[in-house]
Amino acid sequence: MTTDNTITKSSSAEYFSKNLQQVGFSSFTKATLTTVKEAIDNSLDACEDHGVLPDIRVEVDRLGLGTAKGADLIRVRVQDNGPGLTLEDAVKVFGQYLASSKFGRGRCSRGQQGIGISAVTTWSQLTHGTGATVITRTKGMKNAVQCEICVDIKKNVGILKTKQIVDWDQLSGVSCEFIMDARVQLNGDGGIITYLQGTALVNPHLNLRYKLLDAEEVFIERVSDTVPLIPERTSPHPHTMKLGEFLAHSHLFGKTNTKKWLKEGFSRISDTVIKELIEKGMPESVFNKTLSSVSEDQLKQIYAGLQDVKLMAPPTKSVMAIGEADLAKCIQRLGEIDFFAVETRKPTICDYKPIQVEVAIARRREKSEDDRDSPVQILRFANRVPLQFDKSACAMTKAVETVNWRPYGLTQPKKSLPQGPYIIAISLVSPFIKFKNASKETVDASDELVEEIRHALQKCGHKLSAHLNREIKEADMERKIQHLEQFAPILVDGLCRITRSNEKRKERAMAGLEKILGKDSREAEKEFIHAQEKSEDATKLMAENMGVSHEELLEQMHGNGENDNERDMPEQLELIVNTGSGK
Amino acid sequence: MTRKLNRVKVKLVTCMEKTTYTGRRAKGFDVSKLSFNLCDRLLTDLERAKRPVLKATKCALDNSFYNPDVGFLEAGDKKVATELNVSSVKKMSRTVFMLELILRNINVGAINTKRELYYISKGEIKHNKALKPLDFDDQTESDTIIDFIGELLECYREDLNCYANDRGGQTYSQQLVVEETMPSGEKAIIDLSKLGTSPFQPKNRPQNLKLKAKHKIDFCLIVESEGTANTLVNSGFTKRNNCILMGAQGVPSNAVRGWCRLIQTQLKVPLYFFGDLDAYTLQNIFRTLKAGSAASLIRNSDFCAPEVRFLGVLPDDIKKYDLPDYPVREKDVQEGRALKKARDALQNDPFFKDKKNKGLSNILKWLIQNKRRCEQQAYFSVAPDDPWMPEKIVLDKIKRKEFV
Ligand SMILES: Nc1ncnc2c1ncn2[C@@H]1O[C@H](COP(=O)(O)OP(=O)(O)OP(=O)(O)O)[C@@H](O)[C@H]1O
Ligand SMILES: [Mg+2]
Repeated sequence: MTTDNTITKSSSAEYFSKNLQQVGFSSFTKATLTTVKEAIDNSLDACEDHGVLPDIRVEVDRLGLGTAKGADLIRVRVQDNGPGLTLEDAVKVFGQYLASSKFGRGRCSRGQQGIGISAVTTWSQLTHGTGATVITRTKGMKNAVQCEICVDIKKNVGILKTKQIVDWDQLSGVSCEFIMDARVQLNGDGGIITYLQGTALVNPHLNLRYKLLDAEEVFIERVSDTVPLIPERTSPHPHTMKLGEFLAHSHLFGKTNTKKWLKEGFSRISDTVIKELIEKGMPESVFNKTLSSVSEDQLKQIYAGLQDVKLMAPPTKSVMAIGEADLAKCIQRLGEIDFFAVETRKPTICDYKPIQVEVAIARRREKSEDDRDSPVQILRFANRVPLQFDKSACAMTKAVETVNWRPYGLTQPKKSLPQGPYIIAISLVSPFIKFKNASKETVDASDELVEEIRHALQKCGHKLSAHLNREIKEADMERKIQHLEQFAPILVDGLCRITRSNEKRKERAMAGLEKILGKDSREAEKEFIHAQEKSEDATKLMAENMGVSHEELLEQMHGNGENDNERDMPEQLELIVNTGSGK
Repeated sequence: MTRKLNRVKVKLVTCMEKTTYTGRRAKGFDVSKLSFNLCDRLLTDLERAKRPVLKATKCALDNSFYNPDVGFLEAGDKKVATELNVSSVKKMSRTVFMLELILRNINVGAINTKRELYYISKGEIKHNKALKPLDFDDQTESDTIIDFIGELLECYREDLNCYANDRGGQTYSQQLVVEETMPSGEKAIIDLSKLGTSPFQPKNRPQNLKLKAKHKIDFCLIVESEGTANTLVNSGFTKRNNCILMGAQGVPSNAVRGWCRLIQTQLKVPLYFFGDLDAYTLQNIFRTLKAGSAASLIRNSDFCAPEVRFLGVLPDDIKKYDLPDYPVREKDVQEGRALKKARDALQNDPFFKDKKNKGLSNILKWLIQNKRRCEQQAYFSVAPDDPWMPEKIVLDKIKRKEFV
């Protein structure tokens, strides 16, 4: 048994070291991003698990040329203020595959498999010959320890290369550093800034500092002081299970009374539900037997019966949404925006799985010439992790493309993404997100899921249209007033010349025309005022939700230009521009 | 533009002398007077602070009616009304501005194309900053306004001294003599038999022409392809036959349409159209020649020849002469669209719906059902070594009355 175990372990390390492209190391630019991403995901998970408000610092430097052709030598350092790891655990975490505390928890954590950070160690080991340099300290440790950890690829165990006690001004936390062959892409879909900003967008409680290459350090401050409540592990919902899973589930409970199994092993099955099953023809006796004495046919019958019963949605506890108020605050961290709208849907079931969809749409203040014709920026999130690749096949992209945005005031070519200086952020949270492939970049586009996302987008678009409409009406009013001033004299002059009319007649006609057109522009003015009120109502409601005053929100949105953020985050507005990798 | 147009009520320079011409122009048509009245009405409304409304004939298929007695598409009662408001004030201002330019042209007897009028308006605006808001971004904008004026006054573009480039209609005949009255009143006599191999090309002013036949003319043949018309002439068609032979060059221009009408009314000879067998030819080329178009409802009475008959290629000819034909693929974007248009025409086009044109709608049905097409040049395949074969077929068809 033990030998077997070792074999499994050793082959897994070997397997992953040979297939690093499957876990985010398919190119040099992706290597940097994956490293940053795995480290931050871990830090955020650890902080959340321990109720700590995360303070994360990221540093990416280019040390010189890499060993491989076309690669730079890149150093990535990520530091957190989480619970820290004991030395023993650190060696496992960084040096051994499939060592995770998150297996099968049925929770919405970022990490799931225990592969992520060990793969990073392997990459730096393979390309630079050094493993992970880790500083760690738990509350129980007197001093912080700095160590170098490698992966023993043959045996799949961590190797502690060096260790020394160091001074650290933190009571707990982990700092990890990797040096590797890689390249740095800052902006664009696969860019690090895009990732960092996305992460800031969906983690209101995060304080994030980052210093990338030669750029100034950027600080994104937290907008919420509450650590998201870690949803409790939930029992499976009968509607989230396939028949096979249901049967397998039953085998684990052999001696248990069937009724008890149903009520305790699942969520949302109550006495009333069981009564309903009996009314529908299930013999009552079945529920009083032990599971092992219930035939497979009867189990199948129970399963089928349950699918027909209307059950309450799975408990919302298992999904952890950001909430409209925090999302509203977060989206303003993306840079200067004109206005925005957010929508948090109620948790629901798609494809037998509980899921919650949230959407935020914002219009960037800073606009460039090509903005109008280029597609909006889509930020996709699965359990608060930004997805940055393979967007075209993703359920979220599909949903954006199939919504008709024109009624909300956005331009949109047929069957494609809407255009303009907008950011559309979509966040899915679910303990069971179905990805299209192993690299977890594309959410499977089932009809049900796409439809649910579409609903969220439509609601959000509708909210946004209040603001856009105000602008449209304003422009309309201005155009109308302008028309009155510009064309009235030309028209009357022309008519008078053709009819050879005298000045008196001209004056009378001019007065009449002004009366007619004045009425029209007053009408337009009324419409504008109405639209303005509606937009104001929308921001008022938003402010109320966010717990800030209306003035404060307006101030934030249409800030006076002396905003600190503005100086701090110049490059944040260039998210769309893909500048490739840094040299 | 700042200069006052002092003489408004001028005689139309383009106004015809006595001709046998039948259209509305014969009733005495005075653009200047109509314009004056229109502008006067607008001003009066404005003085009373009442919103003026401009009504123009709706030139669209849903306002087209086929009158089997006269044989062409006529306008119904539908009008497009433009009420003055902040949104339409720009269009109205542009209309009055363009009208003033046109009246000036009429006043001095100047004639322009639409493109020239576009540049003239640009020039006016350049020299008068106050007019800047009227500026046209491109010619389509000024064209729309010119068309709008025509629809408002229910007059031809030529009445506005705005002429199109005359295209197509190259005509050959050994018998035809044309007498043209020039703007100066002078007369020119053109004997087509004296032109050698050059054709006579009609201008878009049929009202100035009078036609005579030196000998009896038996028929007029209008050939869809200009090239094929040429071939027929070169091989002696007009020498052997007392006829008029004309190349249409695709969809007939106003010049061709007016010219055919003139031949029909003044010479009273039978007219035959010789073209491809396909939906496009039938619907766009032949229908326009025979009954006018929805876009030109106002001018159809003078610009189509209802007597013209479709000589071929007829569906029966394919079998009879064993002509090479082609399948029409629904999948091909262009051909698919043509088929769809043909189905549409059977449903909605008053011309094809009228039982008087049953023969033609039957051909259209045949085309939709069989999805075949056959070009007029296919006649050249019948006897490849006999250059006169197409001529023989044409004459034979006329003799046996094999036309629709
Ligand atoms: N910064 C950290 N602070 C505290 N604990 C950590 C930290 N990083 C990792 N861990 C612990 O180490 C475990 C393994 O991390 P690893 O990244 O290998 O896997 P994972 O996050 O569970 O899954 P995934 O492969 O999807 O990333 C985590 O489950 C967590 O318990
Ligand atoms: Mg991880």
